[in-house]
Amino acid sequence: MESSLLFNIATLAYLVAMVLYISFLAFRKEGIGLTATVVTAAGFIVQTIALFGRWWESYQMGADIGRVPLSNLYESLVFFTWSTVMIYLIVEYKYKARAFGAFVMPVAFLALAFINVAGISSDITPLVPALKSNWLFYHVLISFLGYAAFGVAFAISMVYLLMNTDDRGKSMNLFSGIGALFLLAVAGYFLTSLSPQWKTAFWLGLGVLVLAWFIYLIVNGANNRPQVFLFWAGCVTLAVVLLLAMGVDFVYLITFKNMASGESFKKHLFEGTFVSHSLPVVVLSWVFTAGLFWFIWSQGMKLKSLLQSYMPGLDLLDDVTYRMIAIGWPLLTGGIITGAVWANSAWGTYWSWDPKETWSLITWFVYAIYLHARYVRGWKGTQMAVISAVGFLAVIFTYLGVNLVLSGLHSYGGLAE
Amino acid sequence: MERQKGIVEIVAEKVWKFFSSVKLAVILLIILAIVSVIGTVIQQNESPEKYLREYSETTVQLFEMLGFFDMYHTWWFVILLFLLTANLTVCTLDRFPHTLKIMTAPLKPIDDDGLKVLPLKKEITVKGGMEKAEEQVLLVFKKHRYRPLETRSAGLFQLAAQKGVYSRLGVYVTHVSIILIFVGALTGAFFGFKAFLNLPEGQASSVVYLRNEPMWDQVMAALGIAKSPVIYSNEGGVPAMPLGYYVQCNNFDVDYYQGAQGPTGMPSEYHSTLSVYTMDKEKVFDKRIRVNDPLTYRGVTFYQSSYGPIDRPGTVFLNIRPKNSSAAGETVAIEAGKAVYVPSIKRTIKALSFAPFGMRNPTTGEVQFYRSNNEEYINPTVELEILNNNRTVYKTYVMKMDKGAPYMPEDYLISYVHYFGTRYTGLQVTKDPGVWVVYTGFIMLCIGPLIAFFGSHRKLWVRVQERKGQAVVTIAGSANRNRLGFERVFNQIVEEISK
Repeated sequence: MESSLLFNIATLAYLVAMVLYISFLAFRKEGIGLTATVVTAAGFIVQTIALFGRWWESYQMGADIGRVPLSNLYESLVFFTWSTVMIYLIVEYKYKARAFGAFVMPVAFLALAFINVAGISSDITPLVPALKSNWLFYHVLISFLGYAAFGVAFAISMVYLLMNTDDRGKSMNLFSGIGALFLLAVAGYFLTSLSPQWKTAFWLGLGVLVLAWFIYLIVNGANNRPQVFLFWAGCVTLAVVLLLAMGVDFVYLITFKNMASGESFKKHLFEGTFVSHSLPVVVLSWVFTAGLFWFIWSQGMKLKSLLQSYMPGLDLLDDVTYRMIAIGWPLLTGGIITGAVWANSAWGTYWSWDPKETWSLITWFVYAIYLHARYVRGWKGTQMAVISAVGFLAVIFTYLGVNLVLSGLHSYGGLAE
Repeated sequence: MERQKGIVEIVAEKVWKFFSSVKLAVILLIILAIVSVIGTVIQQNESPEKYLREYSETTVQLFEMLGFFDMYHTWWFVILLFLLTANLTVCTLDRFPHTLKIMTAPLKPIDDDGLKVLPLKKEITVKGGMEKAEEQVLLVFKKHRYRPLETRSAGLFQLAAQKGVYSRLGVYVTHVSIILIFVGALTGAFFGFKAFLNLPEGQASSVVYLRNEPMWDQVMAALGIAKSPVIYSNEGGVPAMPLGYYVQCNNFDVDYYQGAQGPTGMPSEYHSTLSVYTMDKEKVFDKRIRVNDPLTYRGVTFYQSSYGPIDRPGTVFLNIRPKNSSAAGETVAIEAGKAVYVPSIKRTIKALSFAPFGMRNPTTGEVQFYRSNNEEYINPTVELEILNNNRTVYKTYVMKMDKGAPYMPEDYLISYVHYFGTRYTGLQVTKDPGVWVVYTGFIMLCIGPLIAFFGSHRKLWVRVQERKGQAVVTIAGSANRNRLGFERVFNQIVEEISK
């Protein structure tokens, strides 16, 4: 298939662009920045061709198989990166701020890398009857454009949170963070091994704790910058660790378990690291996570001074975040609505409170909170950036967490599928 | 003397104030976002046995008490949704009169005090005297599609204009849409129902079996006002809802994707042909339904949802037509294992056997049989014996999808049409009179935020004064949204006037 090759070229281009954008920040050469933009645009054009190519190829496979390439995990992830890059290019053009690229391109590249490390199949498979609906096409299209806008908002919020930190605070902050991480990890391993009941209790408890922390940050983050910086370092660590862990899984499953690429890795998630059968591997994974957390936390200020001369003012960052959310939220709304209309045409129920629907609604609530806090209560700055980051975590959870985490939580969940 | 407020008045005022706060809205949104998580971690509406397998007995009892197994329909969750809707309604009613006042307020030329508070203003001197300046200002206003109100007094020419007044409605469109969705959902719960119907091929039913009864009927029956139309069976079976007409399943079938070798096991479509009959057995219409394409009659919609086998002998439907002819031919039905005489070809056809998954090798013509999971009819194949006065003429296979040519030595062709009567179609049946209210809300919810976020109410004022023989132009503006964007336009307008 020619389109697969083109997709790989685009992935490579985004990787190169990401490196270029980061070197642009490091070496401060306009030429590098310009090259980064050109490479990104070239990758985008190649990916656009690949998208249409895949569309055409699906029709070549049979008239009844042909469809818009927006109907499985692979296609949606590809579309997500495509829209993220498109929105990024528009933002770069409009605000003449190339430094964003160092933050947005990783989001796009990580999503594409995720396809490979998570072993998501790129085969064009025929659609099951329930998915044969035009509403599905609109649903995925609109949702992912929205997700992409939120992704860009997230990247800019992360920049904001970094640039807004004057002082990373005492090392005690980091150590208590790492301490809490280890404590929760030990509690998690212990409780989940007891019984499914304790497993549910643990996840519920963890959810409540994390939410409480988020709410604290949103309410009081402006007065506790070091805590917000810890949150920033945590978000970056989480993204890197998740991706690395899935990369390890990929290598582990292919080499040691002889699983074919493209097979569902979902049931074996993190078996190469955090849920390995070997205790040393588990301990090592956590030690590595803590080390990375420390590294990111301690290097954050250096990154900030590096960015200082390139970044537009904080007010502009805040404004761009808002604009992205003002675009993303109506799109998310449209995505939820088209999903509901589709469900009604297929099953006669427009809303059934299934985990996916519920999480999309939770995401919608989070961004609704953002908009009301801004419009009516006049909030700005740190708190807004935290809500935007939390919102994107909810987006990620809606999209991947529901399938990966929640369905694995139930002993009977796997059987029902 | 000030009138003393009654206790009712005070309470009402307090309640109104409580519900009109945006703080409440944000708090409710936070609470809703958090508690919604519970129902995604704990699986909803599973059987008690499943829960007991997963949780201890005390936990099950606790969760049961808290309603965590059907969380989104518990009284406390519904109350949260209700509070949010009440909050939205009160906020809307509270603020709308003020907005309306702003929207309908007549445009007035700006005075000095008004100018003072506006952050966006500019004073420039235009060459060429008053008349030239006035002309220029009007030209620029026209170019930017502002229709100005002109006032003129001695040595003072004033313009006032506004655009995007209606963008102030965006937030109300959004909020009303959510209220509509809530009202629509309630309407559905009160007057609608969800039901199912497993209908064997060839059979009809005038009732459907309820998953949940319309609340309205329950309330009316409990109050003794009206009898519920629902039929309860004595054996404690599923309550049935009469339709007032018959629905009949004429046939059900699954289509499979075709691979290079023949059908793959992957279903491409489930479909049933349904007929609607009046209670006097008069046919109203037929419809072939499939997933994503249901049948609706008198407010009740039938969705293709599942299927299954029934233990009954099948009937094979065959098509017989002369060779080398484009005639449609005739359809013959033969019960499995039985024989039927077909006068047009003067032969008796016997249906010897049936297999759910047979395939013909296109080169050798040989028919092979495969195992199919759950006996699914992936490529139904029937073996036929053709007799002439009890003497076998030949035997042959006909199948749904034939890669080769079936053995047909005589001057007619027999082809497979359908294997009938061994399966039922599973229909999901719903009545939801609130769905159109919800959909209206959906449409408004798509439009409202766009108006609110991307529209803005922009006002522009200009004063042209004569000072020391020169025309001094003061330009001022305001926008309620997207101020940065307005600033750009404003600066452009200033520049164009100064030209």
